[in-house]
This record gives sequence, C-alpha cells and structure tokens, in this order.
Amino acid sequence: MANKAFAWLDERLGLTTIYNVVLDRKVPKVNWWFTLGSASAILFLLQGVTGMFLAVYYVPSPQSAYDSIQFIMNGVAFGWLIRGIHHWGASLMVIVVFLHMLRTFYYGAYKYPREFTWLTGVVLLLCTLGMGFTGYLLPWNQRAYWATTVGTELPGTVPLIGPFITNVLRGGAELSAVTLTRFFAVHIWFLPAVIGALIGVHIYMVVKLGISSVPDRED
Amino acid sequence: MTKSPHLSRNNFVKGVVGILGTLMGVIVGLPAIGYLLSPALKIQTSESWIPLGPLDNYPVGEPTPFSFTRTKINGWEKATNSYGVYVLRKTETDTTVFSNICTHLSCRVSWHDDIVQYVCPCHDGHWNKDGAIVSGPQPRPLDTFENKVEDGNLFIHFVEG
Amino acid sequence: MDDEQKQRYLEKYKQAKQQGVKFFPDIIYKDLLVSFALFIILVMLATFVGVANEPKADPSDSSYIPRPEWYFLFLFEMLKFFPGQIEWVGTIVVPTVAILALFLLPFLDRKPARYPGKRWRAIGVMGVVVLAMIALTIRAVITTPPQVEAETVATTLSESILIGQDLYSINCVECHGPDGEGGIIEGVEGLEGYDMKSISAQDEMYTRTDDTLFNVINYGQPDLGMQPFGIAYGGELSIGEIETIVDFMRYTWDDRAELPQEVTQASAMPTLGEDQVPSYDVHIEPLVKRYCISCHRPGKKNNNYLMQSYEEVMNTGDHAPNVIPGDLASNLIRMLHREEIDAGGPMPPTKALKPEIIAIFERWVLGGAPQTPEEAAAAGTVVTGTLTAPQTTAIPTP
Repeated sequence: MANKAFAWLDERLGLTTIYNVVLDRKVPKVNWWFTLGSASAILFLLQGVTGMFLAVYYVPSPQSAYDSIQFIMNGVAFGWLIRGIHHWGASLMVIVVFLHMLRTFYYGAYKYPREFTWLTGVVLLLCTLGMGFTGYLLPWNQRAYWATTVGTELPGTVPLIGPFITNVLRGGAELSAVTLTRFFAVHIWFLPAVIGALIGVHIYMVVKLGISSVPDRED
Repeated sequence: MTKSPHLSRNNFVKGVVGILGTLMGVIVGLPAIGYLLSPALKIQTSESWIPLGPLDNYPVGEPTPFSFTRTKINGWEKATNSYGVYVLRKTETDTTVFSNICTHLSCRVSWHDDIVQYVCPCHDGHWNKDGAIVSGPQPRPLDTFENKVEDGNLFIHFVEG
Repeated sequence: MDDEQKQRYLEKYKQAKQQGVKFFPDIIYKDLLVSFALFIILVMLATFVGVANEPKADPSDSSYIPRPEWYFLFLFEMLKFFPGQIEWVGTIVVPTVAILALFLLPFLDRKPARYPGKRWRAIGVMGVVVLAMIALTIRAVITTPPQVEAETVATTLSESILIGQDLYSINCVECHGPDGEGGIIEGVEGLEGYDMKSISAQDEMYTRTDDTLFNVINYGQPDLGMQPFGIAYGGELSIGEIETIVDFMRYTWDDRAELPQEVTQASAMPTLGEDQVPSYDVHIEPLVKRYCISCHRPGKKNNNYLMQSYEEVMNTGDHAPNVIPGDLASNLIRMLHREEIDAGGPMPPTKALKPEIIAIFERWVLGGAPQTPEEAAAAGTVVTGTLTAPQTTAIPTP
C-alpha cells in the first residue's frame, strides 16, 4: 500500500529524480567547517517558525508592543521558550553566518566557478544583519528604543542627504508608531522574503556546482 | 534490513536523521501547541452582584433595558465589555432579569413594544414577554439572571467564563 | 583565471568528487549533528539564561545609555575614532567600503590560488579586519558604563498592582490617604488644611480612564497643588512605575474591575492567631509600608523618624526611642491613639488607623517588639484578652 502510494506520488513529483540529484550525489571529502552553511539554513528555519508563533500574540504598536511581549513571556504557556529561542537564535545566526563567510573566504571557495554563490551569500549576510537591526526595536523596551534612536541617526551624518535617509528609516522625524510598523513589516515580510529566495538560489548553486573541496598545496 | 543483523551506514544515518529531526520537532512542536492553546485554557470564571439601581426605576409589566460594563484583561489589553439585560417586573415584588444574548448564536435581542416580543435580528427568533420561545431556531428560552433586592436596590448575580 | 586554468580546476574537482563521499548519508550526517548541537545550545540558553526583562521604552528618560545589539557594538565603538566633521567617514564610508569589498571580492581576487598558504595577503587583510572587529567589540564592552540600576519591572498584572501599591504608599498617601479617601491634609508643606476630595470614589474611577490617571500622575496638576511625579517633569517616577500605580488604583477602587486572585492573596495582611505575638517582618512591616512610610522616609518632615527598616523604626528620630519594647506608653502607640505629646501629634495626621490595626501594634510592643517570627514565637503569648485578632484583610475596597 505504502509502496503503491509512493509510486503514485513519485510518478507525479519525480521524487526519485530529486533523490538522485540532490541526495545521492558524490561530493568531495570535507571537514566540519563545511557544516556551517546548513546550520545557517536550519537556524533561519527555526527563526522563521518561532517568529510565526511570536506573531500570534505580538502587536506592533507603541501602546501594546511591550505589554504583548510581557504577555508572551508570562501569560502564555511556553512563551518564554519560543521568545528565548528566537532571541538567542538571532545572535547565534549572526555568528554562524559570519563564520560560514570566513570559511568560504579562507578556502578561496568564492573563486571560479562559485563567484555568484558568493554574491548571494554577501546579500544573505547583510540581510541577516538587517534582521537583527529591525528585530531589535520590536520589543519596544528601553534598550530597543534607544539603540534604534542611535542606529537610525547614523546615516544622518552623511553630508546633504543624510537627514533625509534618517527620516525615511524612521518614517518621520523621530521614532514613533510609524517606525515600529515599518521595522515590523521589514522584519517579518521583506527581509524574510529576500532571504528565503536567496537561500533557494544559494542552495541551487551549491547543488549544481557541488560543494567546494578543501584546497591542497597545489591549488 | 530485517535479515541483516548489522545496520548499514545508510540506515544508521537514516535512523539518526529521523531521531534527531523528530526530537527537534517535538521540542519546538509540543510547547508550540501549548502556546497556541493556553489562552483558551486559562479562562477564569468570575461572579459578582451587579447593582441595577433602585427597583422603583423599573415600571411593572414592561421590559426595561439596562446596560452595565465590566473590565476584563484579554491578554495584554484591558477591555471594557458592555452587557445588556431586560428587567421585567411582573408584580411589585416578582422580578425577572433576562439576558439580551440570543440563545441561538449569541446575537443581541431587543424588545419590540409594537408586537410585544423580543426579536433577534440574526435568524428572526421571537420570544414573548416572559422569555418563552414564540418562533425561530433558538434552542431555549431567554437566559435569566438570579436577582435580589437589598434596601430597595436591584442586584443581579453575574457569572462570567 | 584563463580558460586553461578553469579547465584544470574542473578536472581536479571532478577527481576530488570521485574520491569523495555521498552527500547522503555522509555530509547530511555531519550537518545534522552540528545543527542539532546548535539547537540544543539554543534551547539551553532560552531555558537557563532567558531573555532579560527590560523596562518599557521611555522617550523622556534621558539617563538611559543606548547600546546596540552586541554584533553591532564594533561599529558603534569605531565611531569614537571619527569625531566631529569626519564622523560620516565612520558611519558611512567605512561600512560601504567594507560591503563593496565583500561584493567585489571574486572580481578583485582573480588569481587561481586557493590554498590559504598561497593567499597570505588576502588572509592577512581579513584576519586584521576580524581581529579589529573583535578588539573593538571588547573595547566597547569594557568602556560601557554600567546601566543605571533599572527599577523593578512588573511582568504580570498582579506584580504591577503590588508594586503600584507600594509606590502609592510612598508617594501618594500623604495627601490622598491610604485608601484614596482624601480628607484634611496635615503635615504637607503648602497644602496644610486643604480638604482633599476622594480619588477612589466610583464617579472618579468611572470617569477617568487609565490614560487620564497616568497623565495626572505624570504631569501633576500644579494649579490644584499637585506636583508632577514623572521623571521628565521633575518627579521621580518612570512611566513604568506610574503605570503600576494606575493599575493599583484601577484594580483596587474600580468595582467594575476584579482584582486578580493572586493579588488579593499577596496583599492580604498576614493572619495573626488569638494569642500570637506579631513580628516586625511578618505583621508590622506591611502596615508601616502602607500607612507610615510616605512621610517617614528621608527628605520628609518627620522629626527624623525613619521607618524603612526594623533598625530605623526602633532607633531613629529626634525623640528616639519611639518604640520601647513592652511599654504601651511608647511614643508610637500614644500617637497612634491620637495623643498630643512632645514627640508630635496624632499619627497618621489625617485619619486614625482602625482599632484592630492599632491593636496589632500594641501586641507587638507588649510582646517585646520582636523582629523575626522566630523571636516572636520565643516571646510567647500575650495575655491581654481584650485584644482581638484581626481578620485576614484584603486591600479594603471603599
């Protein structure tokens, strides 16, 4: 029965082909540093899942943001766990993504034919930092408020267009409800969409080109 | 696989992938279910006697509406909920207080003087002055509140949750 | 890289692949172990370290020291090296150059060499950058002045109400009375003799929203003699603290809002057995906190009699000692009974305490004014049969 169901699905989805192409392929022998890419992906998934659950109760408004997070932490079963994973996951993800970049750099894996994979990787690194920056404001506590006040002030130092950039980031002259909702939107829609799409491209490239090998003295 | 006493490397990895994957799913998944369900499990019942003012405010033989509010915490929000009742003084001393919540699907019913009936606007339920069903899909007569009179003031026993 | 070099690379890579392993199971296995280990670390961090409880954002609190998330600290610290006119070099030029360099890396470095030992220049530059980032981060952590001790943050409504109750006792009782009942104000400079209306009456509670109450406390009502209490306006209370007072008022005085059960229990005066000696820690401190401490703390007109701890209650004051163990003629007791004596007038000035509360003070003094419940138990029983044990009292609602 199970076999029949599998055959039926396989005929339509091409599961065997996927297995042969993606899983059953030969790759060079590599070391443990090569696990950081998949770890980044898993962390992104985990952040996505815990983020979805946080969105069940979180309200992006100055009146309610703080209280809704207090409710998540103290009023809902396991809210502390979901938020704890999301909070620490952010830091861990920055570390893992950064180390992944360093490993790629160290082994020269950005070179032919993987230049484009590297480019998508750089964007992914920047997006990860962007997630950290936008997510930091959402709890609307003292840390968040003041860090973002300063953080959005930085581009303001650019000659001529600086103040305008700051106003665009904040959606006004100062930090307000408008800032909070746009950071929220960027944090849960724009950046995850970009990251999700680019991870797709990134992994496609890795599967197509094969993971880079550890270079030896001749390379 | 059943024939071989040794686990092939392939099957070993499959097993480990399965176990660790399941473990991660369970560690996140089970708390997540509790996380989603917990507001529904935490509804507290509360009861109190609500003052409806002097009994003399209510004419005999005529349903009179009265509304009151209760403050409640819903998650992070303090909500002030309004409730409506109809007070019917059948005689000087015999008073019935009806809830204005339809017993069918909780729409709010209102008293129509011209036809001497309570009418629910949603599915056209009708009740007579004493709260008994006249017509419509509702399963039972209008709900009533236990009431008492103290020092000439009317109170109803209000139970929430 | 020319075509020949490319060809050579592809050939070699093909060989490496052939001598290599299968993606499944070998690579997946390692990946999964690492990912799972990271996952466990995360769950541990979430469980045993958790997320620090920060006070709510307060735009008016200028004493807060802003700090970015730790992975931006190096950027933050770097700006100290670009003062004044060239600040924008640090905020924009350096990060932009760094990002551009990352993007252009595959095009800048087009040599075929991949072995790290042959690319010491590139590795060196990256190494210096990474070390600089780490050094800047460490420097930022070291040079950050410690955050001014934040106030206790209420995490649940019950906590908020209890914190609010204490803050109310300290800041509001002098004029508004312990239960918001008001009355003739005594002993407050500038408001002597003012007949304060009740702020806990139903029409007050029904017509004032939480926001209104918040604003009254925050801004004060200077024309009516009420000073501002918000930090931003010269007071001492943060917005979080004012919110706890509002919660306390709403849930204690507004009959439409039911006090959560935990609060009723936590704020109930401890029970006292018929022949038990009260102790300071269990019975007296909550009463002192509730009825006395608003004036009997530093900076108030109180003949230097402070009541913030057992030691202060026993030893401070211009007319010390105000409590003499075993002596019902102690200043404290006589003044509670509204006698006019050398040490001062009736206490509390506005309104007498309920007889059953005064009785607790009397039993405590008679029993030797013990501090801890153990000492109280050792003091044995009081034989005064006339004193009745008070009932368990919740926060009295008017």
